Amino acid sequence: MSLSKSDKTLIIVAVIICIAIACIAPFLASSNPDGLEKTLEDSNVPEEVATAAVSSPLPHCSFEHLGKIGEIGESIIGIIITLLVAFGISYVIKKRN
Amino acid sequence: MHIPDGFIPLWQCAIYYVILIVAIYFASRWSRENLDEKRIPLMAVLAVGIFAIMTMNIPIPFGTSGHMVGGALVALVFLAPEASVIIFTCILLIQALIFGDGGITVLGANVLNMGIIGGFVGLGTYKALNGVIGKYPSIALVAWLATVIAAIAAAIELAIAGTFPLWIGLTSMVLYHVFIGIIEAALTCIVIFALEKFRPDLLPWNKGA
Repeated sequence: MSLSKSDKTLIIVAVIICIAIACIAPFLASSNPDGLEKTLEDSNVPEEVATAAVSSPLPHCSFEHLGKIGEIGESIIGIIITLLVAFGISYVIKKRN
Repeated sequence: MHIPDGFIPLWQCAIYYVILIVAIYFASRWSRENLDEKRIPLMAVLAVGIFAIMTMNIPIPFGTSGHMVGGALVALVFLAPEASVIIFTCILLIQALIFGDGGITVLGANVLNMGIIGGFVGLGTYKALNGVIGKYPSIALVAWLATVIAAIAAAIELAIAGTFPLWIGLTSMVLYHVFIGIIEAALTCIVIFALEKFRPDLLPWNKGA
């Protein structure tokens, strides 16, 4: 895979911005429930309705004891995984000459 | 607006999965014909950006919060809702399998709302409005509209599933996402503006792209 200089700059700048977002997000994070959860509260649906079908390797609770640093770490891991997966999948499905 | 597992009965999840599979089929046909190597970094960068933006939970009036989506952004930048399908399937799969954010059984419904509907509403409305009200006003409006309509779709799906009553679902989801949509509109404009400034060659409406 050959990336031009401007592509490398694009990726580096984007990753830096994403890491910055990941670092700020836990501090900005609203403790309010999100739109969907709030709608459930409005309709008095019990929380137990949500039952994960698959147990995920890195659920939010595994990082809870690390607090904000844990959240940041979790997001950064996600950023790296997403970058690699997106590149990988794009290469597999790209235009064939 | 990530719907968790358990909120939609499995038989309905299967229907949303069928929709997803059909969408993926069309998206891969699009990518085989249109996704040149030059734009792969853009695909990856948008995926990562949207993932990051979804970690940001912003307070909204009425005691709720929200995260931005990005379906319209992707569809606009590629002038193809198929790109939105690809990116959101990737992101939502990663979030569901690795982070437990949004369910795996309901992946079809989540991609439908954020990727498919977001993408189609975004691009379709943009094409209709661009000549009429100008580029950035169109971008802002379609990004807002895509968010609101995605929220409506989620509310309808959850009402069909019996998880919450349609009226409460619609009024709550629409009300909250009207505000979230404003931030989404601003962000979509900013990202497209930044691309225009620094990498106009990546945008399909510029000559030489």
